[in-house]
Amino acid sequence: MPFTATPLVAGDAFDQASRIAAEADAGLAQRPDAAAEAAFLAQCWAQVVELGWPATILAEEDGGAGGSFSDLAALAGGAGRAALPLPLAAACAVVPHLLGAVPGHPLLAETAAGAARICAILPGAATDPDAPPLRLAGNNGTLRLSGQVAGAEMPPDPTHLLIVLDDRLLLLPSTTRGISCVVAQRIDRRLAGDWSFDSVPIPSDAVLARGEEVERRAEEARDLGAVLTCVEATEAAGALIEQTIAHLSTRVQFGAPLGTNQALRHRVAEMYVEYETLRGLVGAALKAVEQADRDAWRSVAFAKLRLGHAGRSIAEAAIQCHGGMGLTDGLPATRLARRLIMAEYDYGDRFFHARRLLAAKRH
Amino acid sequence: MAEAIDYDAFRREVTEFALTRCPPEFRRLVAESRKLSRKVWAPWQRILFEHGWGAPGWPKEYGGTGWDHRQRHIFDEVMAECDCPPQYHHGLRHIGPVIIAFGSEEQKRRFLPGILDGSVWWCQGYSEPGAGSDLASLRTTARREGDEYVVEGQKTWTSHAHEADWMYTLVRTSKEAKKQQGISLLLIPLDTPGITIRPIATIDGWHHVNEVFLDNVRVPVANRVGEEGQGWTYGKFLLDRERLGGANVAPILKNLGRTRDLVAAELNGEADRLKREMLDQRLLAAEAELLGAQALGQEAIAAVMDGRPLGLLPSVLKLSTSHAMQRVSDVALDVVGERLAPRFRRVDAGGPNAEAPGIEWVQNYLYGRVRTIYGGSSEVQKNVIARQLFGF
Repeated sequence: MPFTATPLVAGDAFDQASRIAAEADAGLAQRPDAAAEAAFLAQCWAQVVELGWPATILAEEDGGAGGSFSDLAALAGGAGRAALPLPLAAACAVVPHLLGAVPGHPLLAETAAGAARICAILPGAATDPDAPPLRLAGNNGTLRLSGQVAGAEMPPDPTHLLIVLDDRLLLLPSTTRGISCVVAQRIDRRLAGDWSFDSVPIPSDAVLARGEEVERRAEEARDLGAVLTCVEATEAAGALIEQTIAHLSTRVQFGAPLGTNQALRHRVAEMYVEYETLRGLVGAALKAVEQADRDAWRSVAFAKLRLGHAGRSIAEAAIQCHGGMGLTDGLPATRLARRLIMAEYDYGDRFFHARRLLAAKRH
Repeated sequence: MAEAIDYDAFRREVTEFALTRCPPEFRRLVAESRKLSRKVWAPWQRILFEHGWGAPGWPKEYGGTGWDHRQRHIFDEVMAECDCPPQYHHGLRHIGPVIIAFGSEEQKRRFLPGILDGSVWWCQGYSEPGAGSDLASLRTTARREGDEYVVEGQKTWTSHAHEADWMYTLVRTSKEAKKQQGISLLLIPLDTPGITIRPIATIDGWHHVNEVFLDNVRVPVANRVGEEGQGWTYGKFLLDRERLGGANVAPILKNLGRTRDLVAAELNGEADRLKREMLDQRLLAAEAELLGAQALGQEAIAAVMDGRPLGLLPSVLKLSTSHAMQRVSDVALDVVGERLAPRFRRVDAGGPNAEAPGIEWVQNYLYGRVRTIYGGSSEVQKNVIARQLFGF
């Protein structure tokens, strides 16, 4: 029996998410261009809202299902098997955790119902080198937001922006005057926005919360996003190894399947070892987050650091093992590989997490 | 039903013992990554034996602790964390369990006590010049003459033969059978006439391995373990028992911590900042890989405890821990290489171990190359993994 990856969190939710992801992947393949793909992603988003995914971990009084983080991890894992290009971690964990600074905020229920689609911007968001970063300035008692953010992951047609800047949590409707957005597709086909803020006035009710709690929640939210990204990417890596083995077992060159060639078999064994140690670490991080361990952040940081290395090397090996086909957009393995490469940059790349770990070790 | 074991209390008990009963000079040797020898291992084994902990992996009836796999794992972890010397493995982990499983009552009475109390030292005569990874190709022969075997041949890579009393040896007793089948396991005293031991100079400047020449060596038939021709089965039994070896990541993590201290101590100036940061990053990457392996090690222990098959975990653990260990030693070399690699060996009569302070970092880096070769080379492990993943 050839290799089949074992899910980190198995069950009905995982199976459902794998099926949805596979259908979305097939549907996207029929769309002729990026605009048609983006429109199709909006349909996919409506479908997962209908299935209640964004409500998974919200409390019942906030219109949620009151599920566990592990339930969410099962969905993220299943989605990862076909690199579902939707912002699950952001919408289902990061945004609710940030909004949790204001208990009972009506937007929680609207998020769960799909009426609100929020783009979260965490501290340290990327900017172009010549662009001004986000900043808040006071003028006659009114705060104004200026600057740019490059490539912020977002849901289709975002209704709001939830921004952590300095120690403030800001909520702005995306249609606010002075805000503009250029939408792009990331290498993993998710949607991203280049947001510009042209001296946007911030009314006092747009500041949802302020102070240390905001900073703490922003860090925790990033870690929730990071661990879900790791879960998703681990399952993507497992699926990618399965597909690579299937290809090498069936593709015949020089009269024999490629998989009889020891150089390629060893490359696959190396992918598997990377995948396994990643799986071990991500499983431990997931457990630490679920148990709310004091040092959970450390497990998450190590998992994300490892994903940076392992994800890249598994993706590159898969592309190499598929030969010329690995360079085509039409191959599912290529799409998984691009997701793995992209996942490195979600919620802190390996350098970001290395810096955190090193700073803690020096103290 | 057996009483539930309090593993946390057990860990505390072992830690207390390690910190109070292991001689500080031994712990210092380990902390400084020095080469260990029988002079350290044997008295340490004696201390463990007197405490009733001589053989963590043996059943109680043979003087073992009767611990379960998790307890044994905790014991190994704590020993590493406290810088205690690892137990010398050739008797305890290799031939001891084979004698327990397949030896005669007489052999158990004769050989097990010396292994337990550390008074008798064993080495392993498996590899030959033409039989390394392909062990079944071994050519050392044992010809039956009455109540004796007459052994002819050559063993190589024989670790610790120079300080051992006995060698458990795989020999060919039949040339007709399939190559795995004509092999028997003999216990040979190393002071038997006809045995010559010659050191092999290794890459690291240390003396661990030897060539052992067997020229008309007469061994009583009573020294054969189990059946004639079944030596391969016993050898494999031993390898299967060792499959959890990679689960103990603690010694490598400990070494990583020492290497991190080395980086901080040696590269503390402003001019070294960039190099220090680059090396710290590499250590962190290795640490991440090791923590992943540690989580898999826990999975392996749980599997063994539940009687589930280990699958590919042992191969994955071996590959990832050996690789990470080498990366750690690479960092250490990058710290001290420029000033210590040029001072590897003194030209005057100092001998290979009387060297510049800190030279162990260089020696350990060189020695560390063996990790991806012994115990099933990386290439062999990858073949094992690939066969399972592909199903062909």
